[in-house]
Amino acid sequence: MPQNDRAAAASGKRILVVDDSSLVRLYCRDALEQAGFEVEQAINGIEALEKVLAQPFDLVIVDVNMPRMDGFSFLRALRRSAPDVATLPALVISTEAGELDLDDARAAGANFYLVKPVSQIDLLRHAAVLTGAST
Amino acid sequence: MARSPAQKPPAVHITQDDVQRFCEFLYRRTGMMFSDEKRYYIDRRLAERIAATGSPSFQAYFARLRSDTDHEIEHLVNAFTVNETYFYREEHQLRCMTTDLLDRILRGKRPEEPIRIWSIPCSSGEEPYSIAVWLMENWSEVDSYNIEIVGSDIDTRALRAAADGIYGERALMRLSRDVVARYFQPTGSGEYQIDPGLRNSIQFTRANLVDGQDMARYRGFDLVFCRNVLIYFDDASRRSAAENLYDCLRPGGYICLGHSETMSRISPLFRVCRFSDAIVYQRPEADDAAE
Amino acid sequence: MPFVKREIAKPAKPAAADSNEGSVLASLRSSDPEVRWGAARALGHRADEVPLLAAALAAETVERVREAMITALMRIGDEASVTALLPYLRAQDAGLRAAAIEALQALPDAISPFVTALLKDDDSDVRILASELVRNMPAAEATRILCDLLAREQHANVCAAAIDVLTEVGTRDAVPALRACAARFEGTPFVPFAASIAIARLSGTET
Repeated sequence: MPQNDRAAAASGKRILVVDDSSLVRLYCRDALEQAGFEVEQAINGIEALEKVLAQPFDLVIVDVNMPRMDGFSFLRALRRSAPDVATLPALVISTEAGELDLDDARAAGANFYLVKPVSQIDLLRHAAVLTGAST
Repeated sequence: MARSPAQKPPAVHITQDDVQRFCEFLYRRTGMMFSDEKRYYIDRRLAERIAATGSPSFQAYFARLRSDTDHEIEHLVNAFTVNETYFYREEHQLRCMTTDLLDRILRGKRPEEPIRIWSIPCSSGEEPYSIAVWLMENWSEVDSYNIEIVGSDIDTRALRAAADGIYGERALMRLSRDVVARYFQPTGSGEYQIDPGLRNSIQFTRANLVDGQDMARYRGFDLVFCRNVLIYFDDASRRSAAENLYDCLRPGGYICLGHSETMSRISPLFRVCRFSDAIVYQRPEADDAAE
Repeated sequence: MPFVKREIAKPAKPAAADSNEGSVLASLRSSDPEVRWGAARALGHRADEVPLLAAALAAETVERVREAMITALMRIGDEASVTALLPYLRAQDAGLRAAAIEALQALPDAISPFVTALLKDDDSDVRILASELVRNMPAAEATRILCDLLAREQHANVCAAAIDVLTEVGTRDAVPALRACAARFEGTPFVPFAASIAIARLSGTET
C-alpha cells in the first residue's frame, strides 16, 4: 500500500502503547505516528485501564512484564469492562516465546502476540490489520 | 547556598536531551505528562529547581532528584502543581459524587445507616466544607439521609484553622455570591466564616495516613477524598497508606485522588471506575472481584 | 442539616511490644484472610519477622494480602527481605513477578550485593528484570554494572533492558559500550535504535 494511502487509512485511528520502557514506547510511537496513527502511552496496566476507559482507542499494544499491573492482568480487566471497551483489539508484545506464554495470552484475551525485539515493520503491519487500516 | 547580590550564578545549560530525560523520570514517577506546547513551562520549572538547589549542572540536579535528596521530588511536584486550596476545587469530582457515586453507595446501605465521607488530608477545611456545601446545593436527596463528614490532617494547626472556618475571598472564588451568603458570615475584616451549624457538623481529627494503628480508628467509609498527598510519599509509604485507606473503606467504597495523581503510581489494590465526570477508584466488593 | 457527627475512638495505647508480636506473627497463618491482612499490615518493623513473612507470602492466595505482605517486607527492606522476594522474579505468574519487581526496585541498597549474580543468571528473563533493579542505584555504579553487562550479553532483549535503564541513570562513560553494543546488534530490531537514543541522552553529561 503506498505511503500516502497508508497514512490516510491510519488517520483518526488511535493506538495505546503500554510498556514500562520509555525506549520501547518511543520506538513504537515513532513508527506508528509516521504511519499516521495517533498514539498515547501508558507505563503499566493500571494507567492503561485509566486511559482506555477515558478515551476511545482502536488498538492497544501491551507488554507483559510491567510492575504494579502486568499485561495479562490488564487484558483480563479490559475484557471484563464495559462493552464499548471490552472488545478493544489487543496486541501483546513480550520477551517470552514459549507455548505456555502464547496460551496465557490467548486466555487473557489477546488478539495477537509478537515476540520482542519487534521490528517497526512488523509492528506497523499488525497495527494496520488490527485497526482495520489496511485493505 | 547564599550568594552576594553581585554574584549571579551562571545559568546552567540544559539541552533537549536533558529535558527528555527529566520528563521521562517525572512521568515514570508521578504519571504527569506534558505536551510539546508545554515545553517552555517545563524548561522554566526545571531551571528554577536547578537554581534553587544550587546545582552546577543538569546532571548534578538529576542525581539529587533521583535520590530524592532533601525531598527534591516534593519540591519538584509542588513546582508543577497548583497547590492552592480553595472551595470547590476539582469540582468535577464533587459532581461525580452527586451524579454517580451516591446512588451506588446507597444501594449497599440500610436506610438508617449514615453516608460516611472522609476528607484526608483536609488541610484548613476547604475540602470537607466544600463537600457539605456542595451536597446541600446539588443533591436533591440531601435531607433524606444522615451524612457524616470527617476531616483529618496530620497538621494540628491546619485542623484548628479548619475548626475556626475563616477564609479569605480568594478561597471562595469559585462560589457564587448566593452560596457565600447562604453559608458564610463576613467577619468584618474582609474574611468570611462558615456558619456555626456547618462548623459543628464536621468532625475534625488528627490522623496519619501511614500509621496503621491511627488509621484503624476509621472504618466503614463510603467515600474518601485523598487528594494531593500520596504523590509525595516514598514507595513503601504510598503502599502502606493505600492499604490503610483500603481498610478504612467499606467494600465497594470509593476513593478520589488529586487531578495529577493516579493509582497506577500508588497501588494495585483498587478498581478503576469511569464515570462521566471523573475517574474514581473503588475498593472491590469482594476479594475475587479484584483485578 | 443532615450532617451527623460520631466520635472517632481515641488512638489505642500501643500494646506491650513483645507480647503482641507473637500473636500477630501467629495470625499470619490464620485461615481467615482478613486476619492475615491485619497481621501483614501490622508487621514490617522488625528484621526477625522476615522468615515468617516469607513463608506466609509463599502460601498466600489472596492478592491484597499478598500485597500487604510484600509491603511489610519492603518496610523491613534488609538483605533477608530481598532474599525472600528474589525467587518471585522467576515466578510463572506475571502478577507475582510484577509485585516482586516493584518491591525490589524500592530497595537499591539491599539489592546491591545480589545484582551482579542476577545479571549473570542463565535465564535471560531474570537478567532483564535484574537490569531494572539497577535503575535506583547511584549513576556511577549503575553505569559500571550495566556496561559490564552490555560487553558480554548475547541476548537482544537483555541489552534492550540495560540500555533503557542506562538512558535514565547512565553517565557519558557508557557511550563506548553503547556504541559497541549497537554495532554488535546491527540488523537486529530495536537495539540499535535504543542505543542511539541512549548515546544522544548521555553524551552531554559529565562522568
